[in-house]
Amino acid sequence: MTKAIPSADPKTRLSVTAHTQDNVATLLDGKVDCATISGGLAITKGVPFGHKVALRSISVGETIVKYGVVIGHAYKAIGAGEHVHVHNIR
Amino acid sequence: MSTISDEPVGAGWRRTDGRIGLRNHVIAFSTVALTDRITDLAAAHVPGTLPICPSFQRGLRGPDAQLQADMIRAVIAHPNVGAALVVTHDRAAAADLKAASKGFGKPIIVVPLMAHSGMQAALDIMVSDLRLLVAQVSDSQKIAMHLSDLTVALECGGSDATSALCANPTIGRFVDRLIAAGGTAIVSETAEFLGGEQVVRSQSRTPEVAADILGYLRAEEEMMKADGIDYRGVNPTQENIEAGLSTLTEKTMGAICKIGKSKFAGTLGFGEQPVGRGLFFMHTPFFSPTSLTGMVLGGAQINLFAVGVYNPSGLPLAPTIKICGNPITCAEWSDSIDMDVSGTVSGNSTCEDPANGIPDLIGQISEGKLTCAERWKEGQIIVPMSRLPL
Repeated sequence: MTKAIPSADPKTRLSVTAHTQDNVATLLDGKVDCATISGGLAITKGVPFGHKVALRSISVGETIVKYGVVIGHAYKAIGAGEHVHVHNIR
Repeated sequence: MSTISDEPVGAGWRRTDGRIGLRNHVIAFSTVALTDRITDLAAAHVPGTLPICPSFQRGLRGPDAQLQADMIRAVIAHPNVGAALVVTHDRAAAADLKAASKGFGKPIIVVPLMAHSGMQAALDIMVSDLRLLVAQVSDSQKIAMHLSDLTVALECGGSDATSALCANPTIGRFVDRLIAAGGTAIVSETAEFLGGEQVVRSQSRTPEVAADILGYLRAEEEMMKADGIDYRGVNPTQENIEAGLSTLTEKTMGAICKIGKSKFAGTLGFGEQPVGRGLFFMHTPFFSPTSLTGMVLGGAQINLFAVGVYNPSGLPLAPTIKICGNPITCAEWSDSIDMDVSGTVSGNSTCEDPANGIPDLIGQISEGKLTCAERWKEGQIIVPMSRLPL
């Protein structure tokens, strides 16, 4: 499991990618006005604490992988950096 | 049994069946809903007593009646119970319980409400009985306890993204230490192992144990399918979804961290006491108060409860340690969290540090420190029914 990368940069959100095969990262701070995660990926603003963003674009039907495990499938196309949740995966 | 990695962990009360209590509760126990009110009232009159009024029913059918009868005995026999006032409605039920009461090896007084004339008269008798029981246990001697004397219930509630990263892994590391020491742990909530089949296969002591657990998982999955209902919003719950968990498998991957690297030694039915030591899987419904009931009546003296967003679960017979990795919850619910492990989220500490503090905390609890759930008197006993009552 990769460790959280603490960021002193107020413009960057703290994120964790639990496993190298994951296509989502979890945001672990409340800086919802920021549009970049640690590592440099641009993300949608407003994603709440504990929610996920896509690390790359994901097509309809593709698996969502977190902790190296398939946790669900996309039923809508998801762009890189977009919020990944019940509105686009199940 | 003491192993080379066993460790002292406070002191408790030895019971005649060999188990050790972390608490020496004098309970006022209502064995049928009809007597819940007067039992609760009697306990309120006597400091140092604990009311246990689980709304038990009459007229249950077959296996449900048997389960309830077994759970009544499990409450009285629980290692954290030092003495019990057992209240029934009718004389026949009282006679049965009186006949059984000598076998428990602890002071027990059985009171049938119908043997008295009027609520006040019954209340007066119950209050004086409770005072007598409190006096009887007041000078009970404690003995040193070890990790190998413990049965620990593992539970989570209000799961969020931090549950998988902090609180549940903290519990998992402690469980590895507990099991290595010769202790026992019980994990439950069958639905929250769905998606974790591979972990079950690789973390069972024998293929037979794995097959038993996988059988429960299949039955759970088939039941949900047969209902034809999309249970998202029920489990994962609305608060799980609000906190960012999207699917049951995502929730499972957090919940399953509670078992650490330990291997399952066996499976248990609801409220069933483990035979032998090690990690056990108990087949229970997903609602955490119900699951806690099963594990505590199965003999757990203490509960480790991982929270993400807050969840006010508990179980009156056994202290519940609330462990939280969500820094927002830790700040807003500081009066209800026993262990703040949110440092693991911000990268300030590793999971190892808080896990190492759990034996010390259990020791302090055995010396009388109250957990937050005990201070708030959180929790209740809920025994599930498999069939509708007659």
